[in-house]
Amino acid sequence: MRRLPTQPGERIDRESSIAFTFDGAPVSAYEGDTIASALLASGRHVLSRSFKYHRPRGELCGCGQCANSLMQVDGAPGVRACATPVLAGMRVEHQNAWPSLDLDLMSAAGKLASPFMPVGFYYKTFIRPRRLWPVYEKALRHAAGLGRLPKRQQERRWRTEYRRRHCDVLVIGGGIAGLCAALRAAQLGADVVLCDEDLEPGGVQLAEGGGERVRELAAQAQAAGVEILSRGCALGYFDGLVPVWQGDVLHQVRARQHVAATGAIEQPLIFPENDLPGIMLAGGARRLAALYALTPGSAAVLACVGDAGLEAALALHAAGVRIEAVADLRPDAHELPVGARVVEAGIALLSGASVVHAVGRRGVKRVTLARIGRDGAAVPGSEQELECDLLAVSGGFVPASSLLLQAGARASYDETAGRFLAQELPPGVHAAGSVAGYEDRDAAELSGALAGAKAAHALGIGGESLRRELAEQGARLQALPLARTSSPPACASGRRGGKAFVDLDEDVTVKDVEHAALEGFDSIELSKRYTTATMGPSQGRFSQLPAVRALAAKTGSQLGEIGLTTARPPWSTVPLGALAGRPLEPARRSAIHARHRELGATVRWAGEWRRAYDYGEPEGEALAVQESAGLIDVSTLGKLIVRGPDAGELLDRLYPNTMSTLKPGRIRYGVLLSDAGRITDDGTVCRLDEESFYVTTTSSGASAVEQWFSWWLADWKLDAHLSDVTQGVCAVNLAGPRARQILARTTDLDCGADAFPYLAARQAEIAGIPCLLLRIGFVGEVGYEIHCCAAHGEQLWDELMQAGAELGVRPFGLEPQRILRLQKQHILVGQDTDSESTPYGAGLEWIVKLDKPQQFIGRWALEHAAERAPEQRLVGFTVPSGQLPSEGAVVLDGAAPAGQVSSARRSPKLRSTIGMAWVPASQAYEQARITISDGGLMIEAVVTTKPFYDPEGAVLRA
Amino acid sequence: MSLDFLSVGGRAAAKSPLAAATAAAGASFEIRGGWELATHFAEAPVEAQACRERVAWADVSHMRKLELQGTAEQLSAARPHDGVWLALTPERALLLDGDEIPVAAGLHVLDVTSQLGALRIGGPLARELFARFCALDLRPHVTPPGVLRPGSVARTPGYVLCEAPDRYLMLFGAAYGAYLWEVVSDAGTHLGGRAVGVDALAPTETCSGA
Amino acid sequence: MSFQLTCPNCGVREVTDFGFGGEVSRRPATRPESLRELSAYNYFRCNAAGPQREWWVHRSGCKAWFLAERDTRTNAVLWTALPQDAPPAAQREAAS
Repeated sequence: MRRLPTQPGERIDRESSIAFTFDGAPVSAYEGDTIASALLASGRHVLSRSFKYHRPRGELCGCGQCANSLMQVDGAPGVRACATPVLAGMRVEHQNAWPSLDLDLMSAAGKLASPFMPVGFYYKTFIRPRRLWPVYEKALRHAAGLGRLPKRQQERRWRTEYRRRHCDVLVIGGGIAGLCAALRAAQLGADVVLCDEDLEPGGVQLAEGGGERVRELAAQAQAAGVEILSRGCALGYFDGLVPVWQGDVLHQVRARQHVAATGAIEQPLIFPENDLPGIMLAGGARRLAALYALTPGSAAVLACVGDAGLEAALALHAAGVRIEAVADLRPDAHELPVGARVVEAGIALLSGASVVHAVGRRGVKRVTLARIGRDGAAVPGSEQELECDLLAVSGGFVPASSLLLQAGARASYDETAGRFLAQELPPGVHAAGSVAGYEDRDAAELSGALAGAKAAHALGIGGESLRRELAEQGARLQALPLARTSSPPACASGRRGGKAFVDLDEDVTVKDVEHAALEGFDSIELSKRYTTATMGPSQGRFSQLPAVRALAAKTGSQLGEIGLTTARPPWSTVPLGALAGRPLEPARRSAIHARHRELGATVRWAGEWRRAYDYGEPEGEALAVQESAGLIDVSTLGKLIVRGPDAGELLDRLYPNTMSTLKPGRIRYGVLLSDAGRITDDGTVCRLDEESFYVTTTSSGASAVEQWFSWWLADWKLDAHLSDVTQGVCAVNLAGPRARQILARTTDLDCGADAFPYLAARQAEIAGIPCLLLRIGFVGEVGYEIHCCAAHGEQLWDELMQAGAELGVRPFGLEPQRILRLQKQHILVGQDTDSESTPYGAGLEWIVKLDKPQQFIGRWALEHAAERAPEQRLVGFTVPSGQLPSEGAVVLDGAAPAGQVSSARRSPKLRSTIGMAWVPASQAYEQARITISDGGLMIEAVVTTKPFYDPEGAVLRA
Repeated sequence: MSLDFLSVGGRAAAKSPLAAATAAAGASFEIRGGWELATHFAEAPVEAQACRERVAWADVSHMRKLELQGTAEQLSAARPHDGVWLALTPERALLLDGDEIPVAAGLHVLDVTSQLGALRIGGPLARELFARFCALDLRPHVTPPGVLRPGSVARTPGYVLCEAPDRYLMLFGAAYGAYLWEVVSDAGTHLGGRAVGVDALAPTETCSGA
Repeated sequence: MSFQLTCPNCGVREVTDFGFGGEVSRRPATRPESLRELSAYNYFRCNAAGPQREWWVHRSGCKAWFLAERDTRTNAVLWTALPQDAPPAAQREAAS
């Protein structure tokens, strides 16, 4: 394409040249060019290869709406070249062609195979044999698909982030209607955001004679305080939240009122070979000429169904493009005022005619025009061939109503307007401009200003006088006629055939839709899924109506009967990276976390926490706890403070055992149950004084338990108060035969076995830090769980490590702790229990006090459960052969699955393989032999119902 | 037995839950009032410029925070004259920076200083920074000075208090300290802002220069 | 799903700020006699297609539990209130 002389309002700056590369070759562009306009100016016509058949494709819409100009830019795939400005040094590459755009060998394969690749081909062909799918997939992925994703995060050079924006009114679409809406709402005092897909607001007016007016409106809007998000694509409408993707930023706009001024989309015409490069939408051709001063062709033919096409012919003619002929489907086109102007300009105008065929290889060379009879067939003898390098088509307009429909509006076919219009808009959602049927510039301005004022009024602005003004303006708008569009045939064709595409993105032809209908896919939703028409990147902008027409023609239905497919987000293509935002995960870390890192800990996720899993030698760490002493960070435990006169009563109602009888300074183990009697969490309860309890929960259950407690508290209205201090309190467990000795070195407290016995709590200073000490024994040795303010956590850890250094204290992580607790058969809720486990099956019968007076949660279910023996029981087992079964391996009863392994580890201390499993009650006795099936392997094990280590608890209580 | 173990009081200085993160970001520390504080990250004029022209954030986790629970009457009777009083529910309130600990029959007071990390964020781009990780509506006419907004910050529970025009205090669970520092630094640096010492965003003066 | 709820203490927030506690069901005052009745209480829900009274908790804010009436078809929230301020349940609900 050549550049035209300077056009009024053109975007390019001819003084400033910049260079970029396309497939490695240098290309020069003007500042203000898009990638596509620069490539077209450089003489390139083929911009991409099609999805399935690898046919050459060129510029179609000129405004980033179609899939024809998707390219790989600086490593990012799927960039819309006709909506992306060129930057100096940009590295642009083609997509979906091999080895190059101009010579695509896969296109030959597509040509040969296409008769054998009818719709549904993939579904029918590649499903068997199943084992060959990986081979098929590899080949298919190479042939199909759009662009390549960078394999590694480092190759992603762009940053994406979210930005929340609250506002009063969001106007979607910055055409003349949107600008008027935003300006009016802002003038009335509303906080307004306007998003627009283009490089600047203005919409079609920028290229169609209203450039000055819209640029003036945009300046006024900005001055009135409107935030304008240019190149901002509204992706969807989610209960009033509208994500607007703008390059690096995904704006999450939460507005109280919405104005959709999303415009209307010019439609292509359907005829054989309608996808050749050089066949362009009339509006796209005008855009190239007006904004980038490109002559879209040297000899042009136009085919249209309405005034827009005739206006385009006049505009291109005025810009210096030679117009060979204009075909208007309307029989009376030459009698219309615009038609008369076309004739006056000396352009050949054919009324009642359209294009029925095109010829060319990498670009259109000749087209056939003909008068159109019934069903789109050319009237015999009327066909005439014309040489041209541009065929501009205009098949009418479709309102871009997707967002309105997503918001809850209903699409219905309006016979008088000849189009689907969004009706019954939900409250707070307004439509303006051509999406509402107001295409004429003055009508669009009026409808925009009215929508803006209505939105402001709905916010409580303006009062009665504005209401009267709105009623009066509304009446004026009502009196204006809606734009009419005439319907082209589903497919126009003459003597010569070829592929007539209804969907260029997905390479779906009219024939495909017809075949699908014959196979029974005769509703539009089914047809869409089977043919994939409308499922490509342009989201049905150019293919939905053609697909509906093709189906209606095939089934002999009316358009209104066929209807539209459900509107779904995203309305514009968006990189997944933009939706993902920043790669930062919320993580809880203990106050001692930095120390664990210094000690070489393996840090892993444990629920919401980053935790020291081990320090390199889990079995050695476990042994150290049993032979000298170990220190583990247990700050992750949930910690609640329950206070008030009814605190004991609250706990008695929540736990199956009795907590109100605890004496200050004593600790009791407890499990929490659901109303159905299932175990949901466990932990310890320590009484601090008459009205205060300190409750610990599992690490992963902390938030859930806090919510559980406060929920019942909200219902019961007891005089008790709850505080979750999980994150403010640091806790470590010092355990092992030398733990007492180490502790004594750091505190004045009498740590003797009698003075500080098992399940007692004490308050003391350790190295000057006020602490709460709980003597409990999760790991089976003498152990002290020491709690202090998190601001001193690191010091507490350091003091204890230092005091125990010469006594052999070692830090130990989560994994060694799991080995140690398994030796004691201490259950892990969620690991050894699931949502079906009751205390009766889990070996915790002793904790259920059905004789206590309180109606504790789960009591009713347990009373029923107590009447019958559980079908399965949780028991310990050892494996004489030493094989280690996987967690989740199946326990067999005969040949039938009857239980599963919940935990299994090698115990370095006991030098054997130990575990816990749910087994049938009939096998839950001492020394019972069970068979475990583990992925085909049969493992014999022996049941042990008592702890493997220190079964009487003598070590623990020492 | 008492709840003394929830409060700071060791021989060594108390550490903020953000201490490791601020140290890694190049903070200089000073011990004041029993706390190790990040006093500056750069020369004072550089920090002042960030506060004045862009956005700045400072770790103020040492700020004393008390949680008070009781009936509405007990709470209103206990409300002291000094400190910042933040009502959370009819039965629960937070008291920041209070000099004394309120005492009243039936009133339950808890020191939650170490439970909540605190970042003070100020500057003309402060709201833009919040918009990068939080859905709260902080526009001045919605959240003017003195108003507290409890709600999610960077996908964790939090509280945002508008202290003055363009200056906010954000409270969050202490265990999320390193994570939140990373979130704020990541977004804030991209906006041209920087971390500053504890005095750069002093509560007595308005940061915006307005 | 991106609707908003009004926390009675904190005001309007995105739904992601809240935890869902399920529909409000009446807990019997005494133990249901048969296991069948108990199981119905524990496991059966009305699952109304329409306005439904529900428990919600403002887990990212004030942590308070409150009641809401929400139309399950549209996610329109008709009202929210702390338990003590909630309007009395309709007859049909109380009976269920």
